[in-house]
Amino acid sequence: MYCNKIPDKPVDNEKIWKKLDDLARANSLWITAYGTGCGAIELRPLHTSRFDMERFGIAMRPTPRQSDVLIISGYLSVKTLKRVIRVYEQIQDPKYILALGSCTIDGGMYFDSYNTINILDRYIPVDVYVNGCMPRPEAVIDGFILLMKKIKEGKAVGWKRYKENLEYYRKNQREIIRNWDLPDYNW
Amino acid sequence: MADDLMTMLRETVEDYRVIRKRHGYLHVSVPRERVMEVIVTAKSRCGKNVLQLISAVDRIERDIFQLTWILESTEDASIFMVSADYPREGCKVPTLKDMWPSAVFFERELREMFGIEFPGNPRQDEDFLLEGWEGIPPMRRDFDTLEYSMKTYGERRKREHVDPRRLIAEHTGEWDTPVPSRKEKS
Amino acid sequence: MTRLLVSVILTSLGALVYGLLLGGVSRVITASIHGRIGPRLTQNFIDLWKLFRKESSIHHGTMFWMAPMFRLTGGIGVLLLVPIIAGNSVLTNMSFSGDLLLVLYFMFFGCLGMALGAGDSGHPYAVVAVSRGLLQMSAYELSFSAAVLVLALGLGTFSIENIVSAQQGGILNWNVFRFPFATAAALITFLPMNMTYPFNIVLAPQEIPIGPPTEYSSRFLSFMFSGRAIFGVAKLILFVNLFFGGAGSWSSLLIKTFLLYMYPLFVSPVFPRFRTEQSVRFLWFVPTSLVAVDLLRVIL
Repeated sequence: MYCNKIPDKPVDNEKIWKKLDDLARANSLWITAYGTGCGAIELRPLHTSRFDMERFGIAMRPTPRQSDVLIISGYLSVKTLKRVIRVYEQIQDPKYILALGSCTIDGGMYFDSYNTINILDRYIPVDVYVNGCMPRPEAVIDGFILLMKKIKEGKAVGWKRYKENLEYYRKNQREIIRNWDLPDYNW
Repeated sequence: MADDLMTMLRETVEDYRVIRKRHGYLHVSVPRERVMEVIVTAKSRCGKNVLQLISAVDRIERDIFQLTWILESTEDASIFMVSADYPREGCKVPTLKDMWPSAVFFERELREMFGIEFPGNPRQDEDFLLEGWEGIPPMRRDFDTLEYSMKTYGERRKREHVDPRRLIAEHTGEWDTPVPSRKEKS
Repeated sequence: MTRLLVSVILTSLGALVYGLLLGGVSRVITASIHGRIGPRLTQNFIDLWKLFRKESSIHHGTMFWMAPMFRLTGGIGVLLLVPIIAGNSVLTNMSFSGDLLLVLYFMFFGCLGMALGAGDSGHPYAVVAVSRGLLQMSAYELSFSAAVLVLALGLGTFSIENIVSAQQGGILNWNVFRFPFATAAALITFLPMNMTYPFNIVLAPQEIPIGPPTEYSSRFLSFMFSGRAIFGVAKLILFVNLFFGGAGSWSSLLIKTFLLYMYPLFVSPVFPRFRTEQSVRFLWFVPTSLVAVDLLRVIL
């Protein structure tokens, strides 16, 4: 029992509460606890007393249904990309993507690998990049603060871009995932 | 334990070659017809009861795959490694799945990464890490990984070159060192 | 009638705000135990608003929709059946219409609805958590019901108002001093009821990641959060009424519920989690044998 419908194009009809919504969304970012690459090891210190990201209202959620942010932590192999697409599409709107490390920007030190992607933005819409190999926790916190600022200004609209240009992203995804067996949209 | 193995090797195969020998560690190379015999005897007679890894090295200069089976004993943690050479084209290796069920996974990985066939292994054609890979297996040395990456995942973006000497010169106005222009270097 | 309706709505909203604030306080205190700064006090309100305004495009069937409502109803039901401030004509709400047995039923009701909804979501972790939760509930309900039975037999009534009025006139009249063993047993069962640490085998982070609400998203989750906050406050008020002499005024209500809320908070950060069978074995033997002492004393 699953739904195979392609999502509707997003419409902008939340004028009244928009200010309050953006403020609440920026101050309560919940992360899907899913480490896609080596950078996931840099997220653990963020919980602990030294960096303490709970003071920004950031928390880890174990399921994509309840979270807002998906962190692509470092290199992304094609096999993981398939799972990332599933997880990303299961997150409820609005959702944001934070990409860590130079591997997500231009391939980084894995630019000539046969199995890792080079440019992440072709396959899923990225809101904030944090560069470095790997970025230290301070840099990740800086990325989060930038994401908060973008949300408050209403500029973090990767999820709208994804729904509007679904065909473009699907085409790029299907090009490199050879055994494509996902439904049209993973609700 | 190593003496045990040496006696066993002397009895089963004549033309073995010791590559390295240390305390609790023995690496030998044997002809490929006798490999299975050596492994079976090492397990049954010398207590090497764990298959740690099956690895392959692509020695393209000699046109062979060098396969190495790494066995370990849980009694004294001593390691026994057996190597054998196989031809690169149409490489067929007998499977070990009846002695160690875990061998299935090592063999699937080798099948996927090098194209080495294990005819006795019923699961050898299942996907292991690469899902739906076509073409030359990626770990073979005649596979050009940079070209493949460029073709499949897109050209790498060029970086802008910034010379620190130029920055200092622009800042202080002193041009005592020859400064390359920005376009000169790629 | 109108007055009752207004008081019901105000009580529920007040309990929601108080419950969320208590949650914020607990997060700050846990953070300072860890040596962190911790979130804002109002973090739970921000989370609730964000969840309420998120898109919720996924559902798995009728029971999936109803479960958060069951949870909310269970919480509000317990809250309304318990007199919040003894003698206050408004805040006794509907406590005239039901006694302790009905309260016990309502406490079970929310959890049962949650179990059905989680089963409808079809997630394997949710189902595992539901089976664990029902098993644990059968374990702690035994000793909690026995503790309530001790009160009823000892004081000769099932009505909460009468139990509160029987405890007036001096601190030594409180049930915590009259029936110390039954109170101890009830306080132990307070931990699994709140799903705090040694007994949190239902939510069990790192094990079955979050248990029943795994598939619940945005708006469903916001209802579940508010249901949990209200239920928490209702349980606090019930325990204050049953064992700690009830509350005669606002200040004593706030002080007593706050102190009672602090108690699991200082137990949970220092204990690891029980396994399921350990938890059930502990709950079947320790609190039950404690309460048996008082039960024998009351009967003989």
